Amino acid sequence: MKLSNLAWAMMVSAAIVVPAAAQDNQSVNVVLTEVLDVIEPCMAARSDVGRVVLQNINETLTEYAPAESALKPRLATEWSQIDEDTWEFKLREGVKFHDGSTLDPADITFSIARNKNAALGCETGGKYFGGMEFTTEAIDDTTIQITSDPASPILPLLLSVMPIQPESDPADTFTTNPIGTGPYKLVSWDVGQSLVVERNPDYWGEQPVVTGATYVFRTDAAVAAAMVQAGEADIAPNIAVQDATNPDTDFSYPNSEMSALRIDSMLPPFNDRRVREALNLAIDRDAMIGTIFAAGVQKATQQVPPSTIGFNHDLQPWPYDPDRARELLAEAKADGVPVDAEVEMIGRINIYPNATEVMEGIQSMLLDVGFNATLQMYDVGEWNRYFVKPFPEPRTPNLVQVQHDNAKGDPVFTAFVKHHTDGSHSAMSVPEVDDLITRATAASGDERKALWEEMFAKVNDEYIADVPLFYMVGFSRVGPRLDFTPTIATNSELQLAQIGFK
Amino acid sequence: MTQTGINGAPTKSPPKLPTWLGLLLADKFATAAVIFLSLVVVAALIGPALLDGVASKVAFRGRNLAPFQLDHGWLMILGSDSLGRPIFARIIVAAQNTMMIAAFTVVAASCIGAALGLVAGYSRKFLSDAILRLADVIMSFPSLLLAVIVLYMLEPAVTNLVIVLAITRIPVYLRTTRAEVLEIRERMFVQAAKVMGASSWRIAFVHILPMVLPTLLTIATLDFAFVMLAESSLSFLGIGIQPPEVTWGLMVAQGRPYMNQAWWLSFWPGLFIVLTAMSLNLVSNWLRIVLDPTQRWRLEKRRETNHG
Amino acid sequence: MGRFVLKRSLFSLVSLFGLLVLVFFLSRLTGDPAALYLPVDAPQSVRDAFREARGLNEPLLSQFGDYLVNLAQFDFGDSLRRQRPAFDVVMEAFPWTLGLAGLTMALVLSGAVVLGALAAIKVGGVFDRISSVISLAAASAPDFWLALMAIFIFAVGLGWVPTSGTGTPWHWILPVAVLFVRPFGLVLQVVRSSMITALSSAYVKTARAKGVKQRAITFVHALRNAMLPVITVAGDQAAGLLNGAVVVESVFGFPGVGKLMIDSILQRDFTVVLAAIMVTSLAIFTMNLLIDLAYALLDPRIRY
Repeated sequence: MKLSNLAWAMMVSAAIVVPAAAQDNQSVNVVLTEVLDVIEPCMAARSDVGRVVLQNINETLTEYAPAESALKPRLATEWSQIDEDTWEFKLREGVKFHDGSTLDPADITFSIARNKNAALGCETGGKYFGGMEFTTEAIDDTTIQITSDPASPILPLLLSVMPIQPESDPADTFTTNPIGTGPYKLVSWDVGQSLVVERNPDYWGEQPVVTGATYVFRTDAAVAAAMVQAGEADIAPNIAVQDATNPDTDFSYPNSEMSALRIDSMLPPFNDRRVREALNLAIDRDAMIGTIFAAGVQKATQQVPPSTIGFNHDLQPWPYDPDRARELLAEAKADGVPVDAEVEMIGRINIYPNATEVMEGIQSMLLDVGFNATLQMYDVGEWNRYFVKPFPEPRTPNLVQVQHDNAKGDPVFTAFVKHHTDGSHSAMSVPEVDDLITRATAASGDERKALWEEMFAKVNDEYIADVPLFYMVGFSRVGPRLDFTPTIATNSELQLAQIGFK
Repeated sequence: MTQTGINGAPTKSPPKLPTWLGLLLADKFATAAVIFLSLVVVAALIGPALLDGVASKVAFRGRNLAPFQLDHGWLMILGSDSLGRPIFARIIVAAQNTMMIAAFTVVAASCIGAALGLVAGYSRKFLSDAILRLADVIMSFPSLLLAVIVLYMLEPAVTNLVIVLAITRIPVYLRTTRAEVLEIRERMFVQAAKVMGASSWRIAFVHILPMVLPTLLTIATLDFAFVMLAESSLSFLGIGIQPPEVTWGLMVAQGRPYMNQAWWLSFWPGLFIVLTAMSLNLVSNWLRIVLDPTQRWRLEKRRETNHG
Repeated sequence: MGRFVLKRSLFSLVSLFGLLVLVFFLSRLTGDPAALYLPVDAPQSVRDAFREARGLNEPLLSQFGDYLVNLAQFDFGDSLRRQRPAFDVVMEAFPWTLGLAGLTMALVLSGAVVLGALAAIKVGGVFDRISSVISLAAASAPDFWLALMAIFIFAVGLGWVPTSGTGTPWHWILPVAVLFVRPFGLVLQVVRSSMITALSSAYVKTARAKGVKQRAITFVHALRNAMLPVITVAGDQAAGLLNGAVVVESVFGFPGVGKLMIDSILQRDFTVVLAAIMVTSLAIFTMNLLIDLAYALLDPRIRY
């Protein structure tokens, strides 16, 4: 049994080693901290899939550049609004898929339908296109009109998240062999072990420097970091803060995530604004920076990062003022608010590094000003019940540990779900806020920006809907032979074409 | 030398108290083990009352302090954890929860397992098959799935954790007991007892159980360590001990991300788990020698040489 | 013997079916897979459509009926998360686990039996004390600690072996070495304990009186008798490894069944959980059958 197993293992090994050995030194090894279980392009909104697929294998019509807060052409060269609910996109000419077929409007129509297919449950469709219906019309071989219901003033931005797939992909199942238009094409995928891509010689754009890449998976971030250190890998895009110890190879980058505690503001004692203010004042955010949070994090004021259009720059982070917090609680108590009631802190293990320590630390600070706070840490499955509506009955006043990612530059991906009465993560109900969200969603230009700013002032200053913590940073370890600096986009994609050699 | 009955069945009554102490002192390892276990028990009894405030005091600026420095007070002798809490104080406070969970789990699993194993080994009928196939099913049922199911059906509580852990540990005791019984029941003294008209129950508990006990104790002492570590691997589901409550296993698990920078976070609680398991094992080995007339001469001889 | 195996196999089939029923219904009490599978922002309409498309809205009994009909055609259904046949997913992982478990247990048994028997010859002797301390420390050390230490020391520091992954026989050294530690400590202690009993029993005394050499007494007469609890405990440890060595698999990037099972349970990917449990339980049932047959081989007085 022992011998035959070993022989079998070596046979499998041989199959994996060959492509790796055949690589020249212009090929890179990437170690990811999540095991890839699907490589379907319509799942690319999930960061583990996106890092491999997005803009490497499959491309999008438009591409959002967070550094410049600008939308750039990719497979579409230009776009314009025809009327309120219809946009026209001009496709890049002469673009070919890896299987040799030419990109045409039918592929766009197919990709949209695929993302909306309920049987597939695509991440991109579910996350960005929920509640929207699309119709398309091909004007000629390179022109397509897309109509959305309800009308979307930011349709080109929405389409920057949807990878284009060829019509030949299976309609009702996930593909295990994604075919795209990107600068790299899939060579092999050995489920659970490795994935290999190589440069696409027929790519429409400039040929990248990196000739190919081998992705391997290590769920333990310390091991991923060790692999780069030992020279077995070139990049570990996502390592833990405590493993980022070498300034020569380890980079931090803002990862567009925002951490907070969501207050269930519908139930006493949290339905009193003074109690919610006391929560915010009780927390010593400065003491957590550089200790249990990375040194590079910024104190947060609202759910979206500062690069977002409509971010309210007038909002200030809450100071640490435990005495004022105690005063506010005493005032509320005098008015009959049950401030001694047990409030449950619902945490999620590993929602970000040190998540449990963060909750333990915050709990001790809340206890210190007089809250009767208990802590319960859950795995994602159980935590989800408290995070997403319908909330479990009987409802008790709770604080849920949350993290939200909006790298797309517009609050529309945040505001409804977090702050509208009907939002699936919202534990608040303020008619003025609901109204502002509805109006901002339909507006465009400066009006849109002003309405979003007003909404954030209402939510975070007037009403105090949550306990904002930090705009987070991620860490990458990059091997010494590569010329690559991680950016805010590294959280959701890793474009091999942007990597150079020293 | 001591007299031996048929096949090692004990014929001499157990030693009296002063002799016990003498026999214990004759085995230095066992003496050290008993002292260590007594300290753990004392910590479990009064630790939380004595040190709870100190052990849960968060100090962000004093996190991951290295061990063996006395300038932050003697409680910091083993260093501080990732929230700046003294590790030594936390180990003492955690002893209670740790011991409670491990002891209940191991005792429950071994008693139920051994009882079922005796029945399965002694009866030849359908019952035996049914018990063994049940053990097969438990062995194949992933403990994590069991934990998730229990969590969804019942409230999160420490007792549920003990239930989950105990159920998953039953098969090893059951199958071991049964394997020993299969062999022992064919031995001469058991056959003799049967001929003399002893009941099946009497034979199982009076004649067979004492022969099986040493192996069960060996497994149980090592299971102690296993349960202490396994317990923390389930707490992430929200079942069992929750922060700020703490166990040694949880401390070990929480130190994992810091292994490269602050080894002491998981090393010290891990060391206490190892020492506890080792002490229990040494004591059970010593006990076995004391209670076994064919072995006791080893200690008595050593005692004589020590005194002579 | 043949009758015993036949009867036993029938019994095992019944318990396999019992396990199937148990897992099928109990696992469905643990929440809605759509809630975990779909993005957290997905609206209710998307969730409903997803459940509808996967037959998750059907009554549980009719879902079970469909499952059995498909199972009769050896179809375990598709993985919810991976959208591929669940059986394929499991069979990609299982050989890795079988390899790790087989190799580890072979080394454990050969090492522990020899050292345990030697320790039992002179109870309380230097060799006994040293081997006890080492094996006890080994058996109670946290596995992730051993695994990460091994990587930092032998792969990063000394560069003798690769840190992790699969590919060459070298890649097997660290995972097997880490897996070896706990079963080795436990089995060694059981060998020792069981040998002490065996060495003091009447027939060994008889053999000794007849002038049989000590080595022959230890390794032939006593050991044979002491092996019953040893293979039982070793079997329990092997079952643990067959259910998956989760920590070792995830640290070393071995695509085994343990990691797959944990992920599937946490993601409520029921079809994969069921397929994985069916495959591993078949292996465990078979192993327990072999162990029972081994009892009769080791001790001719035991008959079934």
